Amino acid sequence: MPELRKDPIIGRWVIISVERAKRPDDFVSTNGGPSEGECPFCEGKETNTPPEIYAIRKFGSKKNASGWDVRVVPSKTPFLRIEGNLDRTGKGIYDVMSGVGAHEIVIETPHHIANIADLDEEQIAKVLTCLVERFKDLEKDERFKYVLVFKNYGWSAGAGKVKHSRTQLIATPVTPKRVKEELIGSSEYYEHHERCIFCDLINQEIASKSRVILDIDGFISIAPFASRFPFEMWILPKKHSCDFYNLSFENNLDLARIIKKTLLKLRKGLNDPSFNLILHTAPFRRKKAGYWKTINEDYHWHIEIMPRLTRVAGFEWGTGFYICPIPPEDAAKYLREIEV
Amino acid sequence: MAVLRKDPVSSRWVIINVDNPKKPEDFEKEEHVFKKGPCPFCYGNEFMTPPEIDAFRHEGTYPNTPGWLVRTVSNKFPALQIEGDLERRGEGIYDMSNGIGAHEIIIETPYHDKTITDLTDEEAASVINMYCRRSIDLQKDKRFKYILIFKNYGAAAGASLEHSHSQLIALPMIPKNVLEELAGSRKYFEYRGRCIFCDIARQEIQEEERVLIETNHFVSFCPFVSRFPFEIQILPKEHSCHFHEIKEKEMLELAKILKETLLRLKVALSDHSYNFIIHTSPFDRESHDYYHWHIEIMPRLTRVAGFEWGTGFYLVPTPPEAAIKYLKEAKI
Repeated sequence: MPELRKDPIIGRWVIISVERAKRPDDFVSTNGGPSEGECPFCEGKETNTPPEIYAIRKFGSKKNASGWDVRVVPSKTPFLRIEGNLDRTGKGIYDVMSGVGAHEIVIETPHHIANIADLDEEQIAKVLTCLVERFKDLEKDERFKYVLVFKNYGWSAGAGKVKHSRTQLIATPVTPKRVKEELIGSSEYYEHHERCIFCDLINQEIASKSRVILDIDGFISIAPFASRFPFEMWILPKKHSCDFYNLSFENNLDLARIIKKTLLKLRKGLNDPSFNLILHTAPFRRKKAGYWKTINEDYHWHIEIMPRLTRVAGFEWGTGFYICPIPPEDAAKYLREIEV
Repeated sequence: MAVLRKDPVSSRWVIINVDNPKKPEDFEKEEHVFKKGPCPFCYGNEFMTPPEIDAFRHEGTYPNTPGWLVRTVSNKFPALQIEGDLERRGEGIYDMSNGIGAHEIIIETPYHDKTITDLTDEEAASVINMYCRRSIDLQKDKRFKYILIFKNYGAAAGASLEHSHSQLIALPMIPKNVLEELAGSRKYFEYRGRCIFCDIARQEIQEEERVLIETNHFVSFCPFVSRFPFEIQILPKEHSCHFHEIKEKEMLELAKILKETLLRLKVALSDHSYNFIIHTSPFDRESHDYYHWHIEIMPRLTRVAGFEWGTGFYLVPTPPEAAIKYLKEAKI
């Protein structure tokens, strides 16, 4: 059982993997990416993954067999384990919690395609539908407080050897620190202004135009004012909502369209760089968790995309200050002008 | 001039380079390899760096000429600039400020092929002495609130030059991570009336399990809550909030424990890249008695991916209790 441990100073939780303990020579050099072996995610290879949790399938096809469009399976090497109770214990000044959680892989296409930007809009919309369904299902499990959805594309973004397009989903028993910071920031703003900070941000960005990359179908993609990374991009729904999984069926397709166009611009403009994509959404409102009353009004779900073009070094780790070598206004202008 | 901007949601500050923006084709996608050609940090090449700010020199030698042991120069490509006044302004919901600060390079040795672990104890102590001297000098500048001293060793840790060096950045505000650490240790102090780091040192020494080296005044150990595999912390056993207040006779002891720790890391991990960072109190006239300076060493073994960025949760594939065994067994 992996362990969660809490930093007593700044409240950051870490997962200590006891069973998967690595030896020093297990670490591969970060030079380039290793060559790809056989892909367990392709159609016809369904028995190479753990049994599927959910899938969008063609009529009449069988579970764990061919005939699917999008497929969700548990991770073969999960960070957290689904079985077990949440046990919290103290060890002197330290807090320890058992590593209960869910770690799932959403296989975005039956074909061996690496970049989600190469899928068609309908296919991406199906991926979004799968994510919404997984949120609804995981919400029923009272042990989980938060679901993190993210994508590592390319070796320097932390992707594994297999290049097949996929998104990962991790349900955690605590609300993670970064998420909490964002929630606290949003609620403080709401307390002073009685408005959602993200709605204000969207209005200001649309008015000033300089950092807008795309403004289509009820969504915008922007290069954020305080970008941490060069060519960082956010996708936000113009309509206020704190929960991603309240996305309606028709909005699914609109969101799929802006995701595809935004990522195509990145690929074309920067020669197919590695990136991380992270969904920021509100935690589940559990009775005991004591979340503030205004979360529905003060928080606004969105997607953050971080291309991996620079290296994070001592300065960034030490300070939480990031050095961004290109102004977001220049990045937005460059990306705006790329035809897709 | 760079600008500083503050994220209105998370209060995170960033530095934006508006003068020499990198073009998309400027970014390297592949692994960084050290440039060939003359090294600006080598003995005899003093003219290749900006003029020196401070140095330990043999008697009778002149600045910007050979005859030095440790040398501090301005960074040729600074993240922040030293000239100007601090101006903060707003733009709608956004806050910003101009990028005032100091960015210095401490060249640790005149020899290109030596790393910090190859130096004698006395040579390494003079590097630490230089860190202190620069900190004390920069504190006189009222525009600065925090000094960060750090080292990027190896390309994967972000080093761009091979010649052994450390960096110092003086900032006009206290950075977010430091504020968090200060707030956390203050809360603990208010609640228990004790320094949290003193309690950590006490518990680690008592439990022994994660301790690598213990000397009279310092302890180096793999923290119980490591964020990275093989992460190591060096902590002074006696309470002290400011790194630069270290006594001269303790510098040699710190040099020894730092050298041995890094050497064990080098042997155990066959010379991987790492970052080390000195965490110390700001000098904003407030009392930071509840804080305790220390050094964090973070080997760059894993690629930090979406999960870590999104959550601030870190995945540690080697428990500190396992890492410590390899470090202890390393033949040095």
